[in-house]
Order: sequence, then C-alpha cells, then structure tokens
Amino acid sequence: MSLTIHARDLKRYYGSNRAVDGIDLEIPSGRIVGLIGPNGAGKTTALKAILGLTGFDGQLEVLGRKPDKDRDELMEDVCFIADVAVLPRWARVWQVIEMTERLHPRFSRERCMHYLKNTKVKQNTKVKALSKGMVVQLHLALVMAIDAKLLVLDEPTLGLDILFRKRFYSNLLNEYFDEERTILITTHQVEEVEHILTDLLFIKDGKLVLNATMDAVHERYREVMVKPDHVEEARAMNPIHERVLFGRHIFLFDGGDIARLREIGELHRPSVADLFVALMGEEYENSESTEEAA
Amino acid sequence: MSTRSISTMWTLMRRELWESPGAFKWAPITILGLTLFFIVFGLILGSRFDNEMAFTLDAIRQFSDVPADQKRLFVTGALFAVSGLFFQILLLVLLFYLSSCLYDERKDRSILFWKSLPVSDTMTVASKVLTACLLAPAIYLVVVMITQIIVLLIATVYGFMAGINPFTAFWLPASLPKLWSVMALGLLIQGLWLLPVYAWLVFCSSWAPRVPILVAVAVPAVISLLQHAWSLLSSFSMPELNVGLIILKRLGSGILPSNIGWRVESSGNNIDLADVEFSEELFMSFSNSLEYLARPEMWVGIGIALALLAGSIWFRRRATDT
Repeated sequence: MSLTIHARDLKRYYGSNRAVDGIDLEIPSGRIVGLIGPNGAGKTTALKAILGLTGFDGQLEVLGRKPDKDRDELMEDVCFIADVAVLPRWARVWQVIEMTERLHPRFSRERCMHYLKNTKVKQNTKVKALSKGMVVQLHLALVMAIDAKLLVLDEPTLGLDILFRKRFYSNLLNEYFDEERTILITTHQVEEVEHILTDLLFIKDGKLVLNATMDAVHERYREVMVKPDHVEEARAMNPIHERVLFGRHIFLFDGGDIARLREIGELHRPSVADLFVALMGEEYENSESTEEAA
Repeated sequence: MSTRSISTMWTLMRRELWESPGAFKWAPITILGLTLFFIVFGLILGSRFDNEMAFTLDAIRQFSDVPADQKRLFVTGALFAVSGLFFQILLLVLLFYLSSCLYDERKDRSILFWKSLPVSDTMTVASKVLTACLLAPAIYLVVVMITQIIVLLIATVYGFMAGINPFTAFWLPASLPKLWSVMALGLLIQGLWLLPVYAWLVFCSSWAPRVPILVAVAVPAVISLLQHAWSLLSSFSMPELNVGLIILKRLGSGILPSNIGWRVESSGNNIDLADVEFSEELFMSFSNSLEYLARPEMWVGIGIALALLAGSIWFRRRATDT
C-alpha cells in the first residue's frame, strides 16, 4: 500500500508560536480525510507544509517527494485550493483556463467545461467581475479537471449557496474520487462533509488530538441520550462530554460497556461536530453547551 | 531545455502580456498614433504656409540629387529619430513592470494559484526577466517597424508628387533590413547592459512589503547619501565610487535610443564632439552595440544580476500570501 502523505514529527514554529507541533501522519491512497480544528489550530500551516508552500522541520513526504524542495514536480500530481478567491483578478475566464491547460499536463479542458456548464461563469468575463461564489465555482472546476493523485481543499465551499455545495460534494464523491486518489479537506461546515469522509483528523494547538478512520470513530465513541433518573449514574461512568438538549442530558463516551449504556438511555452515533466539541476542550464546550441549553 | 519547458516559458511570457496590456500593447500603439498624428499634423500645417507645396516639393527634388551616403545618413537618421520615443517609453514601462512583477501576485494572493501549478520558481522569475529583455523589446520593435514603414509610405506619396523616384530617394537609403538588425542587436545588448538594474527591481519586488518601486529607489539613494556623508566627514571629499551614480550612469548610457557612434566621457563634462563623424556609420553600426560586450562593466553587471536573480528565486520559493 503506497502512502500519499507520510509525516514524522512535523513541526513549524513561528518564533514562539508553535503552529504545528510534532504531527505524525500516514495517509494511504484512496481516502477522504477531514482535517478539523478551531481557528489558529495549525490546519492551514500543516496544509501549507504538505503543499510545499512553507518550510518545516521533521520528516514529510508527499507522494514520495519532498514538498519544500520539489514543489513544482509535486504539483503535477497534487492540486489544491488553498483559500477562496485567489485566481488572478486581471485575467479573463478563458485565459485562466488556457493557462492552466498549457501549464498543467494533466488538465482536461473538456472536464473543466463540463463542471462549468451549470454555472453562470462566462468565458469572456474578468475574474474581478465575477461574484465570490462564481470565482469559487471556477476554481473548483479547474481543480477537478486535473487528474491529480492528491486533492487538497482548504475551506472549498466558503461563499457558495447550499445547492452548489451539495452538488459539489456529490460530484466530488461520484465523479472525481476513486481508489487511486486521496482528498484532504478542511472545513468549518463539518456536517456537510462528515458523510463522505473515510478518515478524521482533529488538530488543536498544533497537535493531532484524533487520528482515526470513521469506522474506528463510530466504534469507539458513543453518544447516549440518558433518561433523567440515570444522569448521576452516567456521570459516574467517565463521560468525555455532557450537554443538555431540550432538558435531556446527552453524554459522550469514549468506549464503555455497551450493554450498560443501552440500559441508561438511547445509543446514537455521535456527529463529528459533537465529537469535535467534546474533544476540543473547555472554551468550546462552555459556549456551545450554554447555547444549546438556551 | 525540453520542449515542455519551452512551451511553459512561452505560456508564462504570454501571461505577462495578458496581465499588463497597458504596458505592452496600448503604450506602443498610443506612441504610434501620436507619432503619426504629429507627422501628419506637421505636414498639413506646412502645406498651409507653402503655396501649392512648391517649396516642399522643391526640397524633395533637391534631396533626390544629393550623394548616396548623405541620403543614407539623412534617411536612417530620420527613421532612428522616429524610434526614439518608443524605446524611451519602453525603458520606463519596464522599470515599473519589473518592480511589481513578483509583488502583485503576493498582494492579491494569486500566488497561491500560481504555486498550485507545476511551474518552478526559477521558471517564473526567468519568465519575467525574459519578457523584459526579449519579448517587450520585440513587440516595441515591431511597432517601430510599422511606424517607419508608414513614414516611408507618406514620403513616397510626396516623392511621387515631386516627380522623383521614391525608391532610390527613400526606400533604398533607408536600408531597412540593416536598420532593423542594428536596432534588434541594440535592444538585445541593452537588455544585457541593463540586466543588473532589471534584476535589482525583480529582487525588490520579490520581498518588499509594499510599494516595491519606492524601495528599489530608496535603498540605493540612502546608500549613496550615506556614502557621501561618510566621505565628506572622513576625508572632506566626494566618494570615488557611488552606488546611486553608478546606477544612474548605467541607465543613462543605455544603447538604444542613443545608438550613436560617440562616447560620452564618464565625468560628463568632457564631450568631445570632434569624435562624431557624420557618416552613415553614425547610426547604422553594429559595432556600437557590440563594443559594449567588450567592456568589463558589462560582465560585472551580469554577475551582479545573476546573484540578485538567485536571491529573487529564493524569496519566491518562500513567499506565500502572508
């Protein structure tokens, strides 16, 4: 099994700020990995290191290459949207497409046009005259028309309406993704991606706090909506998180005795968002639980 | 270079033209329009004072009788004069273009898009330099050639009106193939001569946090002021080598549009006009340009330029949107 991304003790410090603080990572091909973390947790820095956009300490290989040294070679097999709306504003749409076609050996104009077909993006418009959402549509069409082994999407759907977001993710899954490819995705709209992810990474303060396949996550974490008279009992079982929703107490357990949990309440699969809140610590927990209780 | 890198380079250079149509398309076309406007305007104005154009036509008839070498001097001189404004504007355009070439992509963050393409930083920097040294001069030269042909066509009409043979009077002495080769060679060598200046601008644009052209001017200006201050304080004299003056002198002693066979003494106060020979060689000499290749300053400059470009590539590699 070939590894798409292989990192050992990956670090990136900006002065005293430890943006990425010793990450170990092994991502094989054929996965869709969600990298989830609060703002400033080091997501973007980690992605930039993987894409050869920033230096780093430690070991990192992407598709067998060193990203900081061989960015240009790496980009034949990797494509990314590092942030929204970074297409050159002076260019016309056809110019952007033509430049990508001529500069990228694996770009297919046909596929790009196929993805643009259902949008309002016109060939002769300048990028600066497009709306924010249309720029994203254009960029996504460009990127999905490249036959890459690794696709990195950093907040890909920011500024898009819900119809396009749904269509994008279904295109991504049905037309783009296959066993040979790996997709690494970060987003704040976790609910929208959680059903397509195969792997989950949580990052906090530059460190990975969770690195598991979705199957393992569903195996390991259990959410229990506890009957009112069992609340104290549930609290005694070391839940990693407790929240109150419509007067009912919902506990999240790491492992635990399934039979016992069934007795005290209803068992659910936790959503990625709830898991995120539970694992990401106090500051998020407090604000989130008061919100939901209210 | 493989076929693919050549095609990549060509795409990158075309990209520069797309990005700056004002500098590389509209500026030369505007100068062409202005030049022709003033020529036609002058001719019309002249004809108002010249009854039945008798004086003009008489002068043309007389001109067709002067010896061939004087004809050549006059016609090539006139055609060089037509080109002057183009190449001065070209230099100005290039100074602004180069000082923003690696800065704009950082400012509008499109560097993240460019870096997502399989193009090395060396290729990117090289494409900017080659655009300044080859592509832009070639475009301006083509527009100059068109302008010169139009000027000759206007002269031809006047020649017919005067009843002379315009071919022997204007087209033959213009010796266009040689004229254009001299200009092309001059532009090529000027690119090498000014390479350290170009490279300095590219270098500044690769790291300056804002307004790279100001940084590019301010750094040598401050250094030369400090040099002056230091040598005044320490020995009460002017410095022997001054960074600011070296750069200004190099810009001032470019090859085109002043591709003329005289040398200005470096002190600037000792112009020996006796050296100027009024022969056709004044303008039409390859050796005027080639002579620059023999100067040690040329090669020192190229060395400095390569070091600065290596620095630009280093900064481009590390540059992102932040």
